[in-house]
Amino acid sequence: MHRAAQRRIIIPFLLPALLLLGVFFLYPLVRTVDISFTEWTRTGSSSYVGIENYTRLFDDPGYLNALKNAFLFTLVGGCMLFPVAIAIAWSLNQRIHGEKFFRFVVFAPVVLSAAVVALMWKFIYHPTLGLINPALEGLGLGALARTWLGDASTALPAVAFVTVWHGIGIWVVLLSAGFERLPADVLEAGRIDGAGEWRLFRSVMLPMLRDLFRILVVLWIVQTMQAFAFVFIMTNGGPYGSTDIVGTLMYRVAFERYEFGYAAAMGVALIVIMLVVTQIVNKVMKRDELQY
Amino acid sequence: MKTIRFVAPLAAGCLALAACSGGGDDDTANTGPEAGNWHEEIEGSPLEVGVLSAEGTPGLAILQELADGLEADYDGTDVTLTFANTDARPGIEQRWRAGDPLDVDYGMFDGTNPSLTVWADDGALLDMTPYLEQNDPETGAPWLDRFSPAVRKFMENPSDGGIYGIPSELSLHVLFYNAGLFTDLGIEPPSTWDDLLAANTALKAAGVDPIAVTGLIEPYMGMWSDHLWLRTVGYDAARAVLTGGEGHITEDPGFLEGLEMLQQLRDDGAFLTGFEGTDFTASQAQFFQGDAGMILMGTWLVSEMADVIPPDFQLGVVPFPTVEGGAGDQGAVMAALQEISIAAESENIPLALEWSRRLTSVETQTRRAEEIGEVSAVVDVPSPPGIPGIDQVIADAESLEPRDYGILQSPANEVVYPEIARLLFGEQDAQQTLERLDEGLRRVHGN
Repeated sequence: MHRAAQRRIIIPFLLPALLLLGVFFLYPLVRTVDISFTEWTRTGSSSYVGIENYTRLFDDPGYLNALKNAFLFTLVGGCMLFPVAIAIAWSLNQRIHGEKFFRFVVFAPVVLSAAVVALMWKFIYHPTLGLINPALEGLGLGALARTWLGDASTALPAVAFVTVWHGIGIWVVLLSAGFERLPADVLEAGRIDGAGEWRLFRSVMLPMLRDLFRILVVLWIVQTMQAFAFVFIMTNGGPYGSTDIVGTLMYRVAFERYEFGYAAAMGVALIVIMLVVTQIVNKVMKRDELQY
Repeated sequence: MKTIRFVAPLAAGCLALAACSGGGDDDTANTGPEAGNWHEEIEGSPLEVGVLSAEGTPGLAILQELADGLEADYDGTDVTLTFANTDARPGIEQRWRAGDPLDVDYGMFDGTNPSLTVWADDGALLDMTPYLEQNDPETGAPWLDRFSPAVRKFMENPSDGGIYGIPSELSLHVLFYNAGLFTDLGIEPPSTWDDLLAANTALKAAGVDPIAVTGLIEPYMGMWSDHLWLRTVGYDAARAVLTGGEGHITEDPGFLEGLEMLQQLRDDGAFLTGFEGTDFTASQAQFFQGDAGMILMGTWLVSEMADVIPPDFQLGVVPFPTVEGGAGDQGAVMAALQEISIAAESENIPLALEWSRRLTSVETQTRRAEEIGEVSAVVDVPSPPGIPGIDQVIADAESLEPRDYGILQSPANEVVYPEIARLLFGEQDAQQTLERLDEGLRRVHGN
């Protein structure tokens, strides 16, 4: 009786969320899967082609290259992001002088639009008119100067760096919250036992934040595997496909070649791959609940 | 179990929605007014018109004045100018597919590009032929006679002979050069490939990079191979192989010849220092700042870069150099026609026709040529004074051939321009480029 009444109350509360979920997530998802089994003309007529779009994926060097680059982008960007973000979050947790100013500086890029940031960095990376190469040359490090976005070996890391630069503030905020939630008595006990700050960080804080790291790594994978804006604006996948990721390839296939069905199949396959990868990461990084 | 109870009906609902949303709509196209008296049927109403000029540009100001004139002449007219250039196209074409097209739009038709005749073939565009054949009230001659015969193939649909697009601008691909610099250094504008190589040598000796090009947009690098193949292979033969999937790229020696010439430019260090990481706007700006002596670009360059061209900059243009002994078309010029089309579903076709008539009038086209440097496909319109020499290019052109062989809108796009980029970036030589192109084209064309 009580449970039935509870259910009657819960349903109206759930309906708006379910409606939004249905309209903005489930419907597009189902529609994308639906489209992935079809072939479209530019004018919008479609015909059913079964799993042909999916079988094409396995033989498409462009898609395999984009997937490889997406993984690389995730890995390289992750390596750039997490050590720095953790270090900044830890520093900001030390109640340093001018903490608010530093928080502002770290968070400021987040409020800029991706387009503005991408264009700004495109200029900074410019081989002769930009800021990096002339600075390197001024410091006597001209040998390190590169064409950055025009070099297949540096373009992907260069774009990943900009993505990290733009978004690091969010990750710092999330990590700071984690540091602030660490139990003070445990840290205090460590200090009383003679542990230095580095030892505390390495042996107490990092293990206690492991669950948070797991969630953040999964979020990073989900975010970067479906990245689009920075690559699209800065390199559009070039030079010769070295920065092409699934998002940019899908865009070209859909809106330049008008193969909507094939582009949808690329998207669906990416979702499946992301689900598998995130499940694996979740499993690998999961550990027994920490008791303290 | 509980989750399934919630999700299953939701998913079923979504599937039902998805099933219902497929397929086209049942809207029937308007047949349009009687051709003989369409002028008399013009009534005021809202009209949405696609424009290529960005916010704040002089080009848009001219169009806004045109819109104001239409609103003043026909009560109840409310013209909305919608940006319809490259980046906006995906969204705008989605509107066409959803049955909510602009009344007048760009980029919907090009008779020389099979991927751009599909809208006409599917009945989405108005066949303007009967209206174009009527006498224009201002000139007394058929409206159609305004347009240069050289661009008719761009306007006509090969499948039914109807005209579904009329040109508002003509973009010619030409070799721009810094005329002041050339005069100072005693260099002749290059008319042959040997002249170009000689100009490169002289410019390099003077400490100027010979050719500005962007390495961040592959089709712009591809303009060089496109033009070389035009000269060494010929338009029809090159198009057949590159986008038509007819034959193989290794079968015509002209392809390798063109690639070797491109490699020669690369090996001579002819391209802008750091071009690999230079964006197109920067490379164009560097040309106008005197960092490079030449740039291969469409005639839109002048209007696009108007704000950064120094007042004393002396510009010159020549057609892409001819190749002595080349088996291709030596007198052809590559071109892109910016055509406007009218939606067959437009609620007010007479008003859309009137907009198109005014936009393509000699008066409007002359203004655009003089004020923003647009080249016109309308006869009796003077060449833009900002592009000295373009008259000669147009006069000498034996034919206008569509740019890029339709590569950009074909699967060959994933193959051709990336390989050209590899060649220019020094990753491979001409022979390797040919082999990789052959492999890639065989894959995408399945031949």
